Amino acid sequence: MTARIQDGGRARRPSRLRRRAFAGALILLAALWFGASPVAAAGETPGACVAEKVEALNFGGRHGGEALAILKETAATGVDVGAEDKLKSFEKKLEGCLEAPNPIIPEVTEIIWGGIAFVVLFALMQWKLFPAVKRGMDRRAEKIRDDLDAAETARTEALEVKAGYEAELADARAEAGRIVDAARADAEQVRAELIARAETEADELRQRSDLDVEAAKRQALADLQSEVEAIVIGAAETVIGRNLDHDTQVQLIESYIDDVGSQN
Amino acid sequence: MSIFALDFPAVTHLFEWPDIALSDTYLALNKTSLIYLVGMILTVVTFGLAARKRALVPSGVQHVAEGGINFVEQNIVMQTIGSEGRRFMPFLTSLFFFIFFVNIFEVIPFIQFPGNSRMAVPLLLALVVWVIYNYIGIRSQGFGGYLKNSLFPPGVPKALYVIVAPIELFSTFLIRPLSLAIRLWANMMAGHLLLVTFAVLSAALWGFGYVPGLLPFFMLVLLTAFEIFVSALQAFIFTILTAVYIGGSLHPEH
Repeated sequence: MTARIQDGGRARRPSRLRRRAFAGALILLAALWFGASPVAAAGETPGACVAEKVEALNFGGRHGGEALAILKETAATGVDVGAEDKLKSFEKKLEGCLEAPNPIIPEVTEIIWGGIAFVVLFALMQWKLFPAVKRGMDRRAEKIRDDLDAAETARTEALEVKAGYEAELADARAEAGRIVDAARADAEQVRAELIARAETEADELRQRSDLDVEAAKRQALADLQSEVEAIVIGAAETVIGRNLDHDTQVQLIESYIDDVGSQN
Repeated sequence: MSIFALDFPAVTHLFEWPDIALSDTYLALNKTSLIYLVGMILTVVTFGLAARKRALVPSGVQHVAEGGINFVEQNIVMQTIGSEGRRFMPFLTSLFFFIFFVNIFEVIPFIQFPGNSRMAVPLLLALVVWVIYNYIGIRSQGFGGYLKNSLFPPGVPKALYVIVAPIELFSTFLIRPLSLAIRLWANMMAGHLLLVTFAVLSAALWGFGYVPGLLPFFMLVLLTAFEIFVSALQAFIFTILTAVYIGGSLHPEH
């Protein structure tokens, strides 16, 4: 049934019943049209009726208006009783053109056809047509109600799913925050360790440098002392013109150096 | 009939139609009878096609039938009888559509005649309604109760019963069917006369130039639109009065 409702019967070809009903309606309309046309208002005027009656009049071997004039003249003389009767009869016919049945009195034939039409219509409506259309309307209402209920259920479910997703998202965000904080703490720790190590290394380097400098300084002093010794000995030998024994040399040098050192 | 040089058809000649078939029998067919039959067929075809279509979103003929049912249910039955009146829906819907289709031929080109401007169907339907509401009243309240409630309506001061009872007697049992029938018949007849008057006037004045011819023609167009409205309105009035009478028979206290 749902499929029938959904496709709306559009794909179906016109049924035999529908074609017959359509053809019947067309035939009746055509009969109505052609049946009505001979008595259209223009041809049904009293004037036309009178003209037709006058045209059909025969008197004294004449037709139409001429016959009517002769009939009137003859009747007026009062000699011909037949002419008087004929004129009266003719005038009555003319009055008939203006007379018609009282329109409020219904025609028996029309009551019969109207009754047949309404009884057939009511029987079909009561038996088949009205319940069928109403059933379709009720089914549609039921389907719309069901669809609305289903939509409401789906909406509720979607809201629940959404709430679940939102909770999961919040958890994930919190987890991500925790991870970021931990990573930040780790990084901080690593940084502190690196700084500490670097400072240690720098201190060691600085100490090593100081030692090196000190050693270099001592070496330089030693070298300088040797040089100075040689220079001084040379100078002393030159000055005193003799060789000094070693102990003297040393003594001399050291006293010189001490002098130099005290001056510095 | 010449009126001020206009060759106006006699009133009766606008409503009397010759027999087309089965002349001189009780089943003689004329234009009016054919309109009744076509009105019936149009209603049957409308509802038959609507019953077969069953589209989820109604359109075309299905929309007409379902809209009609909704209209009769919501604006007629529920307003006058209540939910109890739903069992009369097939009858009231038939009544509404049949009267409307028979009326609307007044403006259908080349037919241009409202079937209800003849007294046959209005009188027949009014008598059917009379029988139905009296039957329902007797069945739901009993013969004595129905007669009592009809002649002595509940809630009316007893002193007024002297006046009210005879009025109700005539109104309920005699005037109602006649007023139903005459209202529909007279409205449709008057509408048809109006259209014919302005059609004849337009044709006659056309010879005097466009301006004198156009004025009655303009009125003719306006009145044609008005008669479409009247066709539906009279169908509605006949049906709602029927529902009111049925509702009164079911619930005299209202």
